[in-house]
Amino acid sequence: MLFSITSAHSMALLFRRLKVATCSLAAILLIGWQPFAFAEKSRLTITGSSTVAPLTLEIAKLYEKTHAGTRIDVQTGGSSRGINDARNGLADIGMVSRALKPTEKDLNGFTIALDGIGMIVHNSNPVTALTDAQIKDIYLGKITNWQSVGGPDLAITVVNKAEGRSTLELFLKHFGVRNSQIKPSVVIGDNQQGIKTVSGVKGAIGYVSIGTAEYEEKRGTPIKRLTMQGHEASAANVANGQYPLSRTLNLVTKGAPSKQAQHFITFAQSDAVKHLIEKQFFVAP
Amino acid sequence: MPSRSASNIRLADQCFSVLIMACAAFVTITLIWVLGDIVIKGASHITWSFITSEPSDAGRSGGIGTILVSTLLILCVALGAAIPIGLGVAVWLSEFTVQHSRFSNTVGTTLDVLAGIPSIVYGLFGNAFFSLYLGLGFSILSGGLTLACMILPIFIRTCESGLSAVNNDWRKGAQALGMSRSAAIWHVLLPAAAPAIIAGLILGIGRATAETAALIFTSGYVDRMPGSLLDSGRALAVHIYDLSMNVTGGDNAAYASAFVLITLIILLNTTAQSLIDRWFSQRIYAS
Repeated sequence: MLFSITSAHSMALLFRRLKVATCSLAAILLIGWQPFAFAEKSRLTITGSSTVAPLTLEIAKLYEKTHAGTRIDVQTGGSSRGINDARNGLADIGMVSRALKPTEKDLNGFTIALDGIGMIVHNSNPVTALTDAQIKDIYLGKITNWQSVGGPDLAITVVNKAEGRSTLELFLKHFGVRNSQIKPSVVIGDNQQGIKTVSGVKGAIGYVSIGTAEYEEKRGTPIKRLTMQGHEASAANVANGQYPLSRTLNLVTKGAPSKQAQHFITFAQSDAVKHLIEKQFFVAP
Repeated sequence: MPSRSASNIRLADQCFSVLIMACAAFVTITLIWVLGDIVIKGASHITWSFITSEPSDAGRSGGIGTILVSTLLILCVALGAAIPIGLGVAVWLSEFTVQHSRFSNTVGTTLDVLAGIPSIVYGLFGNAFFSLYLGLGFSILSGGLTLACMILPIFIRTCESGLSAVNNDWRKGAQALGMSRSAAIWHVLLPAAAPAIIAGLILGIGRATAETAALIFTSGYVDRMPGSLLDSGRALAVHIYDLSMNVTGGDNAAYASAFVLITLIILLNTTAQSLIDRWFSQRIYAS
């Protein structure tokens, strides 16, 4: 076999291509950097809770539409991250899906919505209510079969939330237990993951956002909400304050918010965003 | 008894064939199952406006136009950084170092270790280095560069093995023709290693396009149309993850997006293959 190499021709071709590539890269960078320089003044960065992020994103879109020239970047990652980023200045506003703790006095919290946390089981499970003591014993591993609480002879699959999740903190506080005492079979992250886990395992018990659970039940997902302390786990009961296990969804800032952040927070707390809150299955305060 | 042992052997042989075929069938069925599930649940939601419009209501309605743009930009940055560096390192490893010298072995081992690191670690590194230390923030640039770091080891390794597999006669032939070392690499060795480069590129594109963990903390969550490479942009895989795990009632849109993602990967792979084929075939003429 003989190979002849068309060196000169292909080198010329290559140089032409390189030139085109360099020019287009330069053009992209040039065009790219310009809006960045302009947008800098009116840009807000909001980071934190993955539960609050979709709601904030929708509020931010509406805000951008009604306030020309503003840009709001919403990033997710969890409440702990929202607190950290607000503290060290990476974010103008943090998102936290629980009330602020006494150790977080340096932050200002602004409630934008409420969210109840409901215990859910598979809908083939005949159990409709559990007392707080029973739930506690199930999560501590003292009760391991549904028979002990009036259900069928079926092993209980305990679904717990991952460390750093606000729902977990709220759950632990309500039942007065430490996470290290809990004997989970499954550890999950977001709400949807909890619903998917419980709907797929007949003996499972878990806890998720009530609005999400209500919606999934209506769509026919095989889950069931348990009554707590005699109160049905419904959005209405969260709104009227009767349901015992609920949390606030907050925007937080380090110290007093900047003028621009304050403007956005006021908008997020106004009636103009009520329909957005309900659309994300939360309860307007 | 020779007849009995012969039938035993035949039986064992048949069992073995059945087992091997079962393995092959298992893999095929799994693939068909996954694809079928996505096509059945996703294809019905695909419309032109879904592909071009902006997402609304946290992604439940609207489309994925802006997210597609972000995904492609992130991929361009990643490949733009990874291909030249990767080819450079691969050429250096196979042509410029003594095979099995201590230094090239060390570099090789480092690459293998890097290839095995979970993507979330690359994400944390990218967030710490590109986003915070270099000040790129949540941006397509820092997401793309993080992905470049992630796909480099596997790309280098495949290219290097392709180059090493080129017959030594070709190197000698180039030398005999008086070609410089760089011309020999550019005109003879790289085109000869093209199949391996394609394989590395396809692996890289697949990994980068399907990546979630490395991008959530680097290119971010913003689903608006990116105005520049310094804007945050949500990648398709991040969008699918958020819709299926975090957004109530987002399943339909998640399936449709997954369908688009798979189509995109197939399209990109065939394009990459034909581009490299054309590019390299222009430089070697068999006569």
